[in-house]
Amino acid sequence: MPQTPVLELTNLRKTIKGKDIVKGINLTLHPSQIFGFLGPNGAGKTTTIRMIVGLIKPTEGSVKICGYSVAREFVKALSNVGCIIESPDMYQYLTGMENLLQFAAMNKAISQQRIKDVIEMVGLQHRVNDKVSTYSLGMRQRLGIAQAIISKPKLLILDEPTNGLDPAGITEFRNLIRKLAYDEGMTVFVSSHILLEIQQMCDIVSIIKQGSVVKTANIQDLLQDNDKIEWQLSDPETAISLLREHWNIQASQLKKNTISANIGPHPLDKLNEFLISEGLALTYCSATRNTLEDLFLDLTVGDEIV
Amino acid sequence: MFSLIENEVIKMISKKRLLFVIAILVALISVFAYGQHHSSERIKTQLSQRMGISATTDWHKLADQQLIELKNRLDSPYRDEKDKSALRVRIEQLQYNLDNDINPLEQSAAKFTTKFMEQSIFLFLPLLIIMLASDMVSGESSSGTIKLLLVRNVPRWKVLLSKFLTLIMLEIIVLFFAFVLSEIISGLFFGFGGWNAPVATGFKLVAGKLDTSSVLNVPQWRYTLMVYSLAFFVSFVVGSISFMISVLVRSTAASIGIIMSTLVAGNFISYFLSDWKITRYMFMVNLRLTDYLSGSFQPIEGMTLLFSILVLLGWASASIIISFVYFTKKDILV
Repeated sequence: MPQTPVLELTNLRKTIKGKDIVKGINLTLHPSQIFGFLGPNGAGKTTTIRMIVGLIKPTEGSVKICGYSVAREFVKALSNVGCIIESPDMYQYLTGMENLLQFAAMNKAISQQRIKDVIEMVGLQHRVNDKVSTYSLGMRQRLGIAQAIISKPKLLILDEPTNGLDPAGITEFRNLIRKLAYDEGMTVFVSSHILLEIQQMCDIVSIIKQGSVVKTANIQDLLQDNDKIEWQLSDPETAISLLREHWNIQASQLKKNTISANIGPHPLDKLNEFLISEGLALTYCSATRNTLEDLFLDLTVGDEIV
Repeated sequence: MFSLIENEVIKMISKKRLLFVIAILVALISVFAYGQHHSSERIKTQLSQRMGISATTDWHKLADQQLIELKNRLDSPYRDEKDKSALRVRIEQLQYNLDNDINPLEQSAAKFTTKFMEQSIFLFLPLLIIMLASDMVSGESSSGTIKLLLVRNVPRWKVLLSKFLTLIMLEIIVLFFAFVLSEIISGLFFGFGGWNAPVATGFKLVAGKLDTSSVLNVPQWRYTLMVYSLAFFVSFVVGSISFMISVLVRSTAASIGIIMSTLVAGNFISYFLSDWKITRYMFMVNLRLTDYLSGSFQPIEGMTLLFSILVLLGWASASIIISFVYFTKKDILV
């Protein structure tokens, strides 16, 4: 029996003042997945997130959370969501604790114990009784995460969650997200522009460009078939044509004696043997695993902010 | 719903806006009470000097003197008809007081408490309410916390309703403090009492003249109760309108600015454009509800208590409807 997806976006569109901000996004997320939502500024990430949580209404298409439509069964759908949108805005004139109590009061299922646990989870126990106006950005971010997970949501949506966190905080945060996803079974939806973050944290990635998703894939697959090899050898022109004729590999010349290529599934040792047997003097060879950043730049190149 | 209202109350108390409003009340009532005390003393000595009466306790003579002054002003050829009918109204009232042995000069905490509200109802009280109401929704929009409220498993109309009910509670609290503070502060000047003194009400304006045919005396406490009930109604109306502005506008400053300038504009519209029929349907010129009780002159002829109440009720209900419809539909982009 197929599981009900935690999040299902069907042909989601938004037009604001005649401009297509989001142009038909389809997406299905299952329990315990960590999903990375990537895109340059102005690509429509936040607009999409706002539509998911019902802050803005889609021009077309639908959002379903745990099978409930946000448009028609708002309360049921939103019972399963915790989120931070854009920035962790809190009531500055209240303490961290009072802020959490505000949100706890809106949901009867939240116990005092849960509030305590959440504060410890995000590491705010020493400052929770201070006014939020005295918090640093990192502490506000932690409080933001605390209010998002306080109701034990099935879907956790985090928009730029590591903004303002220090390196130790980021590592801590990454572990917390993994724990929430794999131990508590939350589906986590992270949007970020820090690509390394997404690469280290997420299972699945979508790259969005000018309102449409240009690629969705498992992050391992996405990076694996993109190993890039660099050779330093005596006769680059010959090497390029040899590689093309015998292995069907498109290589390009980088520097005077350097060529590079994506070798796909071909084994590197066989390729090196081949080049040497063809009489080329191979002085250096290196393999670089493609980072998400390369991929991201490849896919979104020439993008302009709409 | 109860916990939502509790949340709003916690926020309101933490923001210290209410405290600020109460501090303004204390300051203004003190100044007003002192001024009242000072001027009534001065009038008494002035009158007694001019008339050569040493026994200022004989208020009949002072009232007679006041009456003569008013009549002189009425006879001045430079006054236009509108001013004249206002004077006539005042004279008829004073005459009525004399005939029925009701002392118009006698001060008491009860009288002050009532007078303070009568004077506040069209500008000062609305301003206090605006300070509280304008921030209710736009405050959350400008700080971005509105997002946190609206992504909970609570429908939007409930969030807004909790805010609106909190506002009504605040209106009651403000009136309660206005009453208690003016009673206490003025009591120190004039003595606590006068709640059973008779007050004339039931004046009607017929063709620009005061019709005293249905005037009757009610005890001060009943009159005060009527004044404060009307004040609550005015607070409710002004509160609803500024609440709507607060829903429509994202910044609190803009929201306060819009409603305040409207209110102040209303005060001179009723002064300059009283011939223009449409102005009587504006809420700002209908706020002086207590004038109908005391028989003071209305800004625009042909308006009655019922008319004003209906106009205000129309404004309030339109504001509430617009607030809820807009709030439940709008895209939150902050």
